[in-house]
Amino acid sequence: MFTLIKREIEDHIAYFLGGVVLSSIVIVLSIWAAYNYKDEPPVYSIGLSIPVIVILLIGFPAMGASQMYTDRNRKISAFLSALPVTRGRILIARIITGILAILTVLAPLTITAMVLWHLLVPPVPIIYPCPIFDMFVTALLMAFACYCLGLLTGWASSKVTPTLAGLALTFVLIPLIAVKGFGLHTTVILVLFIIASLIRIRQKFMSTAL
Amino acid sequence: MNENVIEAENVVKYFDGRCVLDGINLKVPRGCIYGLLGRNASGKTTIIRILLGLEPPTRGQTFLLGAESDNLSAKVHSRIGYVAEGHNLIQNYTVGRLIKLCKDLSPHWNDKFFEHLTETFRLPMDRRIGQLSIGMRAQLNLSLALAIDPELLILDDPTLGLDTVARRQFLELAIDLIGQQGRTILFSSHILSDVERIADRIGILAGGKLVVDCALEELKNRVKKFRLIFPESAPENLYLTEIINQEIEGREIAITVANWNQQKQAMLGTFQPSSCTELPMGLEDIFIECTKPDVAPLAHL
Repeated sequence: MFTLIKREIEDHIAYFLGGVVLSSIVIVLSIWAAYNYKDEPPVYSIGLSIPVIVILLIGFPAMGASQMYTDRNRKISAFLSALPVTRGRILIARIITGILAILTVLAPLTITAMVLWHLLVPPVPIIYPCPIFDMFVTALLMAFACYCLGLLTGWASSKVTPTLAGLALTFVLIPLIAVKGFGLHTTVILVLFIIASLIRIRQKFMSTAL
Repeated sequence: MNENVIEAENVVKYFDGRCVLDGINLKVPRGCIYGLLGRNASGKTTIIRILLGLEPPTRGQTFLLGAESDNLSAKVHSRIGYVAEGHNLIQNYTVGRLIKLCKDLSPHWNDKFFEHLTETFRLPMDRRIGQLSIGMRAQLNLSLALAIDPELLILDDPTLGLDTVARRQFLELAIDLIGQQGRTILFSSHILSDVERIADRIGILAGGKLVVDCALEELKNRVKKFRLIFPESAPENLYLTEIINQEIEGREIAITVANWNQQKQAMLGTFQPSSCTELPMGLEDIFIECTKPDVAPLAHL
């Protein structure tokens, strides 16, 4: 399994490097903005969240689609399946790689946000104790949901349906987060969507001719 | 332990409504070198891909080393070497990287044997697969398949693209492998002289069916071709069972018959030909007779 994950990371190293670069830029800008615009937190928060959203909505589906499309195009799974590897393991290794890529972007951002939160935000009454953690969970699930859609798009011969599903998800999730905020409702919907996507990906990947 | 290393039970495969395999039943015992023959698009690659679980059958079941093909575990895979038609290796990898990947994934990697193969074939480790010639890709693919010390080796047209020297090297390697007890080889090829040299059992696919499935020597003994010359014009209603093919020209009939025996010989005598000459048939002649498009439906040999 480790060999398969290593292979996936090496083949898609550009996404990892891109993620690291973007998250580094966001971190530097956050620290700079946090100290220079202390009185206007909403402005810089909104400004800095844009690249993160772009990464989530474009980067991870692109990575998923690229993993599957490259596989199909270069017949990588067909080759690997002739080695002591099962299709299930190939898929699991691919998904783990996706999760690692998401964590590569989100974990440093979350840690930075938590540090800044503790340093700069004045103590507030315990009404909403851990907003950063909720934001992290929602962002992680959203990125993973987008990534799953990318996997589906890359493997499907018709790209229209998964792309429309991706757009639909985006149009549902963004207003949902705006209205409900980061929390249980959004998490439940995302988890359900992810489970459905994973079942579909598994079924497609395991049954298609390689 | 299951004696049949490869089993196919009533395998049917349709592609876009076209029947490619029509009820294939195949059993390959342990230690057998099975040559699978057929014309282009006769379904050789399809049945191999179904056996390996790369392609789902429309109907039927297949088994490799006792395990169902669509559910082969990594452990079973580690006992199977496979050389795909067209040598589908990962094109953007260097030779060295691909070898490392295969080595890391294979529990029974034979380093010494692999080094011997790479030296024999002079494989360049730093070149990308996509930059290799077809012949070199074939050599690399074959080396990778052999290095895992396979119990079952499946070769789909392995000598395609190899020059005469490399082809000879491959055959010698295959013969070496055959020398090791218990190894089973299934291979398809268009080069019938290669098949004739190493196979001990032959299967011929034609019209989606396995029209021949028997030992090579038995096949040669059972399929006979005669040239019959009659005193006047040749009879058009020459009745004999299991005629594979017959060509009538004036007083002459060239007839190919399956399962030749004394009864058939006696039956042929009743038509009173003025001469009857047996024509020698090699595997290539038998193959051509069995795969002619207008050939009569043939019972399994």
